[in-house]
Amino acid sequence: MSTPSENSGFSRRRFVERLARGSVVAGAAAVARGALQAAETNPFAYDVGPLAKTDPAWVNWHEVKRWSVGGRAPRRLAFGPGDVLHVAAESQVLRFNREGAALPPLATTGAVTCVAVAGDGTVYASLRDHLEVFAPGGGRSAAWESPGPRTWISSLALGHGGLWAADSGARVILRYDLGGKLLGRIGAREPGRNVPGLVVPSPFLDVKVHPDGLLRVNNPGRHRFEAYTADGECEGTWGAPTAAIKGFCGCCNPIALAVLPDGRMVTCEKGLPRVKVYDAAGELAGVVAGTESFPANMKAGGAPGRGGLDAAVDSAGRVHVLDRVTATVHVFAPGKAGA
Amino acid sequence: MNPGPTTPAFSRRQFLRDGLRLSAVAGAAGLAGAMAGRTQAQTTVWQIDPAKCVRCGNCATKCVLEQSAVKCVHAFDICGYCQLCTGYFEPEPNELTTAAENQQCPTAAIKRTFVEDPYYEYEIDENLCIGCAKCVEGCTRFGNGSLYLQIRHDRCLNCNECAIARTCPGDAFRRVPVTHPYLLKTDTH
Repeated sequence: MSTPSENSGFSRRRFVERLARGSVVAGAAAVARGALQAAETNPFAYDVGPLAKTDPAWVNWHEVKRWSVGGRAPRRLAFGPGDVLHVAAESQVLRFNREGAALPPLATTGAVTCVAVAGDGTVYASLRDHLEVFAPGGGRSAAWESPGPRTWISSLALGHGGLWAADSGARVILRYDLGGKLLGRIGAREPGRNVPGLVVPSPFLDVKVHPDGLLRVNNPGRHRFEAYTADGECEGTWGAPTAAIKGFCGCCNPIALAVLPDGRMVTCEKGLPRVKVYDAAGELAGVVAGTESFPANMKAGGAPGRGGLDAAVDSAGRVHVLDRVTATVHVFAPGKAGA
Repeated sequence: MNPGPTTPAFSRRQFLRDGLRLSAVAGAAGLAGAMAGRTQAQTTVWQIDPAKCVRCGNCATKCVLEQSAVKCVHAFDICGYCQLCTGYFEPEPNELTTAAENQQCPTAAIKRTFVEDPYYEYEIDENLCIGCAKCVEGCTRFGNGSLYLQIRHDRCLNCNECAIARTCPGDAFRRVPVTHPYLLKTDTH
C-alpha cells in the first residue's frame, strides 16, 4: 500500500523547497528591477555638475565653526556692538554672542526681512514695507511709515549719518535720516547721470557702506556691483555673468555682500551657492566656501523662499555665512584648512 | 369605379422625418447622459503639485500619450523677465542669442521676445513642449521658479492609474477637484 505523498508524486517538503526557491528568485528580480530604475538617468537633465565643482586652488578660507540659529526662516545677518550677531528670522530678531550662544531675541510685529545695528546698539528691523526701531535696551521705540505699496525692503545699512534701505520692490535704495524721515532715493534709471537702473528679478537687493565712503549695491539682473555716492552718482561697476568661478552665475546674482576690514568685498550667490572675496578692483581674490559647503542649499535651488545665502563680517575679519535652507551660520577664517 | 390610391395616414416621407427627429433626440439624450455620467464619475483629475515636483524628466517619457499631457506653464507675474533666463539658455551659453546651441529646450518650445532693455518675455509653445522640465529646473535653480509643470486637461486622458504618477519620485501627482483642476503658483516670496 502506498502513502498519500507517494501517490501525489509531490511531497510537502518538495513544495516548501520550491516555494522558497521561487521567493528568492522573485526577490532578486525585484531588487534588480529597483536597481535598474534607480540607475535610470534623466535624458533631459539640467546638468550643472561640472560648474558646481570648486577648484581647491581658489579656496583660501576655512570653516572654523557652525551653529543652528533655530529659527525656521532666517533671511539676513548683521553684527552689532560686541560682535553680537543679529539674525532676521520670521517675526523675531535673533541674537547670538561671539560663541554662538543665544541672547534674548527681539519680537517684531511681522516677518522680518533684514536688520541693521547702530554703534550704540539701536536695532533697525525691516518688515516687508516698513521699519521698526528697537532701543539699545530692547524695547520697540518707533515704527516708520511705509514709503509705498511696491516696497519690499531686503537690506539695511547705516552710514552717512542715516540709514540706507534696499527696496527690491521699487528697485531703488531709500535714504532715511535716523528719525525715520525719507530723504531720497538712488539707483533709479537715469541715463543722463550714467545710472543704468537696478534690475532686481527677486528680493535680493543688498546695500553696504564701504570704508571708501561710497555705497556698494548689487545689481543682480546685470550680474555686477555698482558704487554710488550718497547723492546717487554711479562711480563705477564691476562683475560679469558666467558660471565660472570668476563671475556671477545664473540669471540674477550676486544676491548679498559684506565688506572686510581691508575693504575687500565678500559676495554670495544662489543657484550655485558660493561665497567669494573680490578686491577693490573687482578681481577675484579667493573663495570662502564653494557649493560643497552648502549641499542642502545646492539641492534646494535659489528660487525665492527656497534658498539663498547672506554674509556678515565680525570685527576680527571672520566671515559669517547664513545658509537659509538649513538655518545655519557657518563661520570662516582666512587661510587654507589645516595650514 | 376604382377610387385610385388613397393617401396613407402615415406617408413614407413623414415616417423618415419622424425617424430622423427621433434619432436626433435619442442621440442628444445619449450624449447628455454620457456627459452626465462622466461628470459624475470624474469628480477629480490628476495634477502636479509644483512644490513637490523634482524635475526628474519622467513626465516627458512615462505618459501613455505619444506626446505627454504635461506641459510647462509660465507664471508671468512671478517672472523676472531676465535677459539671461536660465530657463531658456544653457547653463553657460556662448552668447545671449536665440541660436539653437544656446537654448536648452530640446524642442525649442520657448519663444523669447525683447520687451525693453534689459527685459525679455518668454512664452511656451505647448504644441512643442514635451514636459521634460529642463527649463523648470533652470528657472527653479537660479531664478524665481516662474516656469513649472502642469497637466493640461485638454490633453490628459485622466487614467485611473496615471502612468507618470506611478513613477514620480517626488510624489508630486495628486487628485484635485475637477472644479479646480490646476495648482497654480501665485507668490514668489
